[in-house]
Amino acid sequence: MIASLFDQVLIALGMGILGAVIFAAIGLISGSDETTTLAPLTLLVVLLGVPAPGVLTFFLAGAVAKHMTHAVPTALLGIPGDTMATPLMREANFLRNLGVPHIALRKMISGAVIAALIAVPMAVLFAVMLAPFGDSIKRTAPWIFLAAAIAIAWFSKGRLAAVLALIPFVLIILGLQTLTGQYGVKLSVSYFLGIAIGPLIAALFAMLAPAEREKMRRSEVRTFSLSPDVKNGGGFFPNPLKVLDRKQSLWTAITAVISSATFVFSPVAMTVIMGELVGSRVKHVYHRLTTVITARNGVTESTYIAEALIPLIAFGLPLSPVAAGPAAPLFNAPPRFSVDAASGEVHNLHTLLNTWEFFGYGMLAVVVAILIAYPFTMNYAYRAASYVSRKISHEAVIATFVGLILVIGIWEGGLLGLLVIVTVGLLGGFLSRFLGFNIGVQFMGYYTAVLTVPALVALLGA
Amino acid sequence: MKPELYDVWGDTVDARHLLYAIVIGAIVSLSAFFTAQHFLLEWVASAQMARAYAMLVGIVGCLAGGTLSAMLFKPKRHVVEHEADPAWRSRVLSDLQNEFGDLGRLADLPPETLKELQDMDLYDLFIEYERGLESANKDPASAIRAESSTDLVVNGGRS
Repeated sequence: MIASLFDQVLIALGMGILGAVIFAAIGLISGSDETTTLAPLTLLVVLLGVPAPGVLTFFLAGAVAKHMTHAVPTALLGIPGDTMATPLMREANFLRNLGVPHIALRKMISGAVIAALIAVPMAVLFAVMLAPFGDSIKRTAPWIFLAAAIAIAWFSKGRLAAVLALIPFVLIILGLQTLTGQYGVKLSVSYFLGIAIGPLIAALFAMLAPAEREKMRRSEVRTFSLSPDVKNGGGFFPNPLKVLDRKQSLWTAITAVISSATFVFSPVAMTVIMGELVGSRVKHVYHRLTTVITARNGVTESTYIAEALIPLIAFGLPLSPVAAGPAAPLFNAPPRFSVDAASGEVHNLHTLLNTWEFFGYGMLAVVVAILIAYPFTMNYAYRAASYVSRKISHEAVIATFVGLILVIGIWEGGLLGLLVIVTVGLLGGFLSRFLGFNIGVQFMGYYTAVLTVPALVALLGA
Repeated sequence: MKPELYDVWGDTVDARHLLYAIVIGAIVSLSAFFTAQHFLLEWVASAQMARAYAMLVGIVGCLAGGTLSAMLFKPKRHVVEHEADPAWRSRVLSDLQNEFGDLGRLADLPPETLKELQDMDLYDLFIEYERGLESANKDPASAIRAESSTDLVVNGGRS
């Protein structure tokens, strides 16, 4: 018993280190979207049969590490490290132009450390409070997903257009499922990947259309200004509480608690809103810039942690934008993990780990990610940014993702899997580009097709 | 031959290089996957596990293809070391004023933040700004009209 627990902890530790190292590296590459990278790699870990604690620590440590190293391109190069870094660009650019990008960087990752450490216990606490409602929520899951899809669509950029676009989008998914079903092929990962990577697929198609291609043409290469290296005080592992002042630590803690509770909202929106909340309460502009960027980067950590952990612990259903997107394989990864809407039957981390295990392994993942990504970012940010911007071409990044589309598609469903990725990606990419029907809404659309439509059909047939 | 540059998925690529990179990525990743699948299906008892491992090899193949492309095709970026010019800093203040309105008083700041400003050589900048405001009640609009030279490269919209 003790020995097997020790084994589990060791596996969890190893997978946490692996996740933190991989995603600390991915975080350095600007624009490496969370869903596109976290979802497929976590899925792989699930399907390879890694025990449940290892799956959890891999995902969490990866997400936490990525949201620290994403500060490197954001602060030093002025390009967002990933989707969650976009709301930080304004403050990061002002601080860069003031000549203090390293301050932006140090404050961002210190905020991340504090928020991540607070978010795990908070998420567990909120999950325990919600758990009594778990059964009734599971029973009404199909309708909750429908409501969530409509709400998330309404709050996306597309507003009413996004809500209405859900209908054709869901129909396409149902049509594709029927088509592949005729050949005995049941797909899920291909839909996730198609949605996550849609913007790339849409861009590649646009390249082939002469008129669109002209719009994408550039006359010369873009110039990036890399801020010079500045030696930092505080040694190899500076105390985050000393990098921040008291007000900044306090605001980071407050926004981390608030954003842990609001797990159903879009993480980008929460990052923006929490920043505004803090910004309106700090008078001096320099202090406002540094405090807002600290709190915002803290929120990128806390929303991710809470949005993954709360639905996992309380419901076992992917009822948040993060759970439906990057964390989707923790809930649903057939044949190993499954969610059956009709019966409310769930078999995934929710059933495999208890609340205390979620807390313990969650903290382990966060601590491992901090120990790896925090000193790395503090000490090697300049060299990392210089290497990535000078050595890794965008062609190589695109080639890697095209390879990923081919391998995952053919692995899951042969030619049909590949066609589904391209179809869903092209449609989703264009809907996102022209209507603001973003990736989060598309994931909810997928769940509506898989969970709500069967319930609806049953209701109408009865 | 003159490079044909395009903005694709948030950064600049050369069309020909992109085509070659995609072909290389496709060939390397798929051959890794199919080769691994061929052998693993014979060696591993469970077909499902064999295919999962083959996918892992395929993903390693994606990375190998990407690495190969990174070695063959250089980034289309012009990276310059850039220290913010002190002369620009006052411009940044007028940009900040455009964005936020009142910039606040140094008197509002806690001591550790004041020290941080001094360490970063920003203290004098804000002192001057406050003096400028107090002394002549200078028309802030003139400062605001100064053209914004700070190019905010926000490169979002990728997802």
